[in-house]
Amino acid sequence: MLILKPKFEFEVSVEAELTPDLAEKGLEEIRSFKVWYGKLEKSLEELFEIEMQGDEKKLVLDGDFSKVKWIGAGMSEGEIVVKGNVGANCGAYMKGGRIVIEGNADDWLGAEMKDGEIVVKGNAKNLIGCAYYGDVTGMQGGGITIEGNAGNYIGEKMAGGVIEIKGSAGDFIGTEMKGGEIVIHGDCGFVGGDMKGGIIKIGGNFDLLPTFRKAEDGWVGDVLVNGEGKIVKI
Amino acid sequence: MLWIKNGIVIDPKNGIDGEKMDIFVKDGKIVEESEVNKNECQVIDANNKLVLAGGVDMHAHIAGSKINTGRTMRPEEMRIVRQTAGKLRASMGRVLLTSPAIGYEYAKIGYTTAVEAASPPIGSPHTHEELDAIPVVDKAALPVFGNWHPVFKFTAEKDREKLKAFIAWALERTKGFGVKVVNPGGVEAWMYGGNVRSLDDEVPNFGVTPREIITELVKANEELNLPHSVHLHCNNLGVPGNYQTTIETMKLVSGMKNDDRQVLHVTHVQFNAYAGSSWRDVASGAEEIAKVVNSMDNVTIDMGQPIFGHATAMTGDAPFQFTLHKLTGARWSNKDSEIEGGAGIVPIVYLPKNPVHALQWAIGLELGLLVDSDKVVLSTDYPNGGPYTEYPYIMAMLMSKRMREKELERVSPYVQKATSLAAIDVEKTLYEVVQMTRSLPARVLGLENKGHLGVGADADIAIYNINPAEVDPSAQYDVINAEFRRPVYTIKGGEVVVRDGAIVAETWGRTYWVDARKKVDMQAIDEDLNSFFEYYSVERRNYGVDDYWMRSPERLEVN
Ligand SMILES: [Zn+2]
Repeated sequence: MLILKPKFEFEVSVEAELTPDLAEKGLEEIRSFKVWYGKLEKSLEELFEIEMQGDEKKLVLDGDFSKVKWIGAGMSEGEIVVKGNVGANCGAYMKGGRIVIEGNADDWLGAEMKDGEIVVKGNAKNLIGCAYYGDVTGMQGGGITIEGNAGNYIGEKMAGGVIEIKGSAGDFIGTEMKGGEIVIHGDCGFVGGDMKGGIIKIGGNFDLLPTFRKAEDGWVGDVLVNGEGKIVKI
Repeated sequence: MLWIKNGIVIDPKNGIDGEKMDIFVKDGKIVEESEVNKNECQVIDANNKLVLAGGVDMHAHIAGSKINTGRTMRPEEMRIVRQTAGKLRASMGRVLLTSPAIGYEYAKIGYTTAVEAASPPIGSPHTHEELDAIPVVDKAALPVFGNWHPVFKFTAEKDREKLKAFIAWALERTKGFGVKVVNPGGVEAWMYGGNVRSLDDEVPNFGVTPREIITELVKANEELNLPHSVHLHCNNLGVPGNYQTTIETMKLVSGMKNDDRQVLHVTHVQFNAYAGSSWRDVASGAEEIAKVVNSMDNVTIDMGQPIFGHATAMTGDAPFQFTLHKLTGARWSNKDSEIEGGAGIVPIVYLPKNPVHALQWAIGLELGLLVDSDKVVLSTDYPNGGPYTEYPYIMAMLMSKRMREKELERVSPYVQKATSLAAIDVEKTLYEVVQMTRSLPARVLGLENKGHLGVGADADIAIYNINPAEVDPSAQYDVINAEFRRPVYTIKGGEVVVRDGAIVAETWGRTYWVDARKKVDMQAIDEDLNSFFEYYSVERRNYGVDDYWMRSPERLEVN
C-alpha cells in the first residue's frame, strides 16, 4: 500500500496520473514519478510525502486532493482510497479496479470509463461518465455511485454501465445516451435529450422533454432521433 | 558547408539510380566539389545509406481557414501531445496537427516542401499567417479560382486577356502560387442548394459550364506560362460513376502542349475514380483512368490515398462535404468565402472492414500502381485521406505485393469483387517511388530547384538507413516502412534539422508566390475590379497580402 500526503497547499492544478500500479514499483521509481505542477514538471516526492506499507496494490491519498487531476486515469486493477476531496478527471478511461472517494469529486468523474467501480461518499460535480469533447462515446461499462448530489450533464453519450446518484442531480441527464443505466433517487432537471437507448430511473421530480412518448411503464424517446431510450419513475 | 560522403544516390531527374557518390553543399545549395573547401566542411558519413532529395508534398491542407476550423471542431484531435515545449515548440494533434507539428512531422519523414492546395482568396492573410507558423519546410499556397465570380464573368464574355489579368492580379494579391480549381461551378450552385452534375451543366446566373471554366482557365494558365499547371479537383467528387467525368475532364486538354510540364494536374484522383451507379454497386474505375493518363503526355495526377484510421475531410467542395455529412452523420462545418468559393469540413474514420472505405483504399493503390511513375504523385490529400506521416506505408505498399497481400487479408472482401488490386503484380522500384515523391512533384509544381540533387538544387536532402544493394523492398517491406519514417538525416537548405528520426534544429522555409503581372495589361481589369469590390465586404485597398506580412516570401517572376 502506497500512502501519499500533499506536502503543502497546492496553488495551481497538479496533473498526476496516479494508479495502483505505482504501489508495485520500487521506491526510487515512485519518488521520481513525473507529475505536472501547473506548467512545471516535478517529481512525485517534491509535492507529496511518500510512505509504503506492505505490497498491496493499493493507493491511499490522504489529505486534500481537490486540485489533483487524473487520479486513477486508465487504471485496470487495484484500489485507490481518497481520504478527502479529489480533483477533475478522476477515474477517466478506467478499465478496472476500484476508487473510493471519502470526500467530494470534481468534474469528469469516470469519463469514458470501460469497467471498474467508483464510489463517492460526498457529492460530485458535472459530466460524470461523459465523453470528452469531440468523442462520440462516454462511459461504456462499470459502475459509479454517488452518495450525495451531482451536477449537470450526467452520463452524456454513455453506452453502458450504471451511474447511481443517491441524492439529486442537475440538468441535462443522459443527453445522447446510447445504453446503460442512470439512477437518480432525488430530483433533477431535463433528462434524455437526443437519447437513443439505455434507461434513466428517477425517484423525485424531473423535467420531461416533449419529445418523449408515453409507454406502459414510463416514457420512450427521444423521438427526434428515433430513440428507444426509456425514462421510468421509481 | 557540407560534404555528404559515399552515399548511395537515387536522383531520377538526373538519371542517377543507386550510384555511390559524394554531394557538396554550400550556402544552402548543392554545388560542385571544386566550390567547397573540404577542410571546412561538416562531413556526413552516408556510407551504405540512401541519399535522396527532400520529399515534396504537392497537395496537402496545412494552412488557412479549413484546417484551423477542423482543429476548432475536433478537440479530440488536440489531445495527442507529440512534443512538449523545450528547445523546440510544443506540438500536438492526432491527424489534424498544429502548425509547429506540421513542419516537424514533415521533416521527420524526410519531406522538405509542402503546398497548401486550396486557399480561399479572402482568407489568404490567414493562410499566410499559418504558413509562417510552420517550421522547416518550404511552402506555397494555391488560391481557388473555379467558382470565383470574375472567372465566370470573363469566361462567359470569352475575354481571355481579362481572365489572364485577373489571375495575375489574384496571384499577387493572395501571394498565391498557382491556379487551383475545385468542383468548377458546383460550389457556386451550392450557394443555391445545388451542384453541377456534368461538364455541361450551367452554373446558375452565369450561363457558363464547368467545361468552359476548366478549358478557359487551362488556356489562360498556359498563355501566362505559370510554373504550375491548372490544379484541378474534378466535378462529381465522391459520387459513384464519377470516373467517367474524370476521364472526360482529362480529355479536355487533348492536343495541348507544354514541353516542361503537364498542362493539367488532376488531384486526389482516388475520390474521382468510382464506377458503378450507387454506393450499393460502387466499384473501381482506376484501370480506365490509368489507361487514359498513361496515354496522354500532358496530364498528371496524384493518388489521394486513404489511410485506415482517423482523418478529416476538408475540401473547397462544399456540396460534397454536405453530402458526406448526411451520409456519415458526422459533424459538419460549412465555410463560405464570399463570392470566391466555399468549403466544408467533416471528421471521418476509415475502417478496414467497411466495404466503401476498403474500396477507396484499394483504388488509391491501384492508381499508384497502374499509372506510370512519372505521372502519378504520392499523396493522401492530407488530412482528407489521412496523415502524410503515413507516406512510408504507401511507399512500402507500392513496392511490395507481399505486403499488399497481407493487408488485403484484413480488409473487407468487397475489395476483391470491386477492384483488381489483388491481381496487380506491379512492384514499383525504389527509383520509381523516389520519382513519385521527389522529382515528379517538383516537376509538376514547376519548382526547378526542388526534388533533385543536381548542382544548383536547393540542399534539401534526406538520408535513410536503406542500402538499395542489400534491401529487397518486395520482401523486406517492413524495413522500407520503418526506415522511411526515421531518416538518419534530414537536411533543409543545407542545415541538419533531423538526426536519427528526431528534430534537432528548427529552421524556417520560404513561401513561394508567382508574379505574372508583367505578362498582362493590369489596366484592362481595373474597372471590373472596382465593380467587383462594390459587392464585397472588404475594400479593394485592404484586400490581399503584402510582402511585409509574410515571414520569408520568395517571389517567382514569370517572364
Ligand atoms: Zn485537397
